[in-house]
Amino acid sequence: MAAPMRLLVRRVIRLSHRNIHVSAAGASGRSGCCWGTSPCRCFSDDRNTHFGFETVPEAEKAKRVYKVFENVAQKYDVMNDAMSLGIHRLWKDTLLHVMHPQPGARLLDVGGGTGDIAFRFLEYVCSQQERQKRRATRSMQTPSWQDISNNYSTEDEDGPRESRAVVCDINKEMLKVGKQKADSMGIGAGLSWVVGDAEELPFDDDQFDIYTIAFGIRNVTHIDQALQEALRVLKPGGRFMCLEFSKVTNPVLARLYDAYSFQMIPVLGEVIAGDWKSYQYLVESIRKFPDQEEFKHMIEDAGFYCVQYYNFTGGVVALHSGFKL
Amino acid sequence: MAALLRGLRAGRAIRGLGSVVAAPTATTPQCRSLRRSFHCAALRLQDESKSDKPPSSSSTTYHEHYQAHTTEQYTTAASQGDSASDPAAEEASRPNTSYQDQSGEQGEEYETEEQLQARILTAALEFVPQHGWSMEAIAAGAETLGLSSASTGMFYNGAGDLVLHFIAQCNSQLTEILAEQHKQVQLGQAEPKKTADFLRDAVETRLRMYIPYIETWPQAMSILLLPHNIPDSLKHLSTLVDDIWYYAGDRSTDVSGSYHPRSPSSTAHTFLSPSHHHPHDIRPATIQMNWYTKRAALTGIYNTTELVMVQDSSPDFQDTWNFLDNRIQDVVNMASTAKQVQSTGEAVVQGLMGAAVTLKNLTGVNQRR
Repeated sequence: MAAPMRLLVRRVIRLSHRNIHVSAAGASGRSGCCWGTSPCRCFSDDRNTHFGFETVPEAEKAKRVYKVFENVAQKYDVMNDAMSLGIHRLWKDTLLHVMHPQPGARLLDVGGGTGDIAFRFLEYVCSQQERQKRRATRSMQTPSWQDISNNYSTEDEDGPRESRAVVCDINKEMLKVGKQKADSMGIGAGLSWVVGDAEELPFDDDQFDIYTIAFGIRNVTHIDQALQEALRVLKPGGRFMCLEFSKVTNPVLARLYDAYSFQMIPVLGEVIAGDWKSYQYLVESIRKFPDQEEFKHMIEDAGFYCVQYYNFTGGVVALHSGFKL
Repeated sequence: MAALLRGLRAGRAIRGLGSVVAAPTATTPQCRSLRRSFHCAALRLQDESKSDKPPSSSSTTYHEHYQAHTTEQYTTAASQGDSASDPAAEEASRPNTSYQDQSGEQGEEYETEEQLQARILTAALEFVPQHGWSMEAIAAGAETLGLSSASTGMFYNGAGDLVLHFIAQCNSQLTEILAEQHKQVQLGQAEPKKTADFLRDAVETRLRMYIPYIETWPQAMSILLLPHNIPDSLKHLSTLVDDIWYYAGDRSTDVSGSYHPRSPSSTAHTFLSPSHHHPHDIRPATIQMNWYTKRAALTGIYNTTELVMVQDSSPDFQDTWNFLDNRIQDVVNMASTAKQVQSTGEAVVQGLMGAAVTLKNLTGVNQRR
């Protein structure tokens, strides 16, 4: 028991040294090696993007992101709880409260692999419907003859509209984990699982009432394309909601947050999921994502109206919301 | 008509509105879309000050493209929304271009967000008897306009927005009616009413607008009493009372002791009008609070009558109108009583002064030796 522990500790120390080296060197070091090995490829594919603090060709980013999430899929939920100390549940609950979906709404959750948002959505709508039914029965406790005859005549019309949630993810592993969760929770009705790319959704125009993307949009290579697709598949009046890590406004909190992100999270990733590099990518990609105001402008440019954002936990997470009008 | 279209097309080209619009199917939608796009550009320039979103050229062209795609979808929704949008359109300030009248429909994305919200709320009012003053009513209203129920997220105040919108709508309707009556009187087509009658009719007209929603009105009143809604509801109430007094002929603008010019239309003020009964232009201190007294009195009358109306079950709310009559009569009586007390008091004071002088004469104190 002692030997593997020692091995693990040594690995952790070695990786943390590498971590400090990398964050000190920044993008230049890594990108140097990348260019050294394959100069021709870099010249022809001159559009690069960021993968964490690395610079990679755009075509490669999607593949690398896929691999990251393939690796972490099994332990994704556990890691979420560990890294955010369980606060991510509050963030997602608040997202649902702000959304306040009406019964009969259709949700598209993009990048929602393990299904957190979709499950909460179905629960919320169910409880709304129950509340409505209770209110209706309470008001009907002394029905007049008119009401009774009306009820009999409208019995064959279909009941309250079904709300449906579609979970779309580019990564099959994440969807598999999500499906297992749904089966174990016993939620099956009104839920579908679709493999798809946020930049090119496999849906028709004007399909959904609400489009959410929770902690997924920073992994997309072309964010503006994803926003355009969101606009396309939403019905008129539909709502776009994006929950994402963002810039912390308070400088004290920012220092603590940075220290926690770069020191603790990759270590947790190594200990719990056995994957340092994926969680390194995760915290780096948070830093590369545009801040609240800039992202708000991007959403407005895509054609959404009434765009606004809410900061949670001092700016650690921001919820952006826009309407297709 | 052809020249107009050519001019529009030229205008568009000059503005350099960028990428080519996807070829619209028929010519008539094209004409309409061109007109609307020109109109939209005009509206956008005007609305830039209102909306804080800078309209980028890319979004404009995207909207044109999008709109050409979905003209058919919007025809039904827009024609439905047209009748509902007229009162809302009158409230909001729109450029008075002739294009507005020629095109039979309005593109929804070319109006400001406030106008769209006003339209949704107006459409939601017809679902209030069924769902109450709530987000469900707003969602049902949005659906009749062809928008998804998720658009209710725009209303951060939820049911409060709906109630306040309804009250603002009622107030503007009342103002129109009163202005119309005023015009009739100016033209000499109608007799000017006495102030008491005028107030009674105004309050009755205003309260009758609640009759379709009277079942759910207690819920609306409780929503208005929520702390974050109180400033807005008080503002609406004070505007209402001010408007009624304005059309009743009260033009006082200050509370100092100066003489207030009387309005030409109302010559039959019988109460709470000081200059009538003070030929010497003496203005005692009580008259200085005239402006506030009038409005406070009317506010009290209005609120109490509303409460009576909510639990009134007589045919056509006859009890409520009787109550209203009695309250106005009370105020009239009180005003004339106040005046009588005042003049009596002055008379008594004068009598006492006279008695004192007589006494001094009798006792010889007044004599000069």
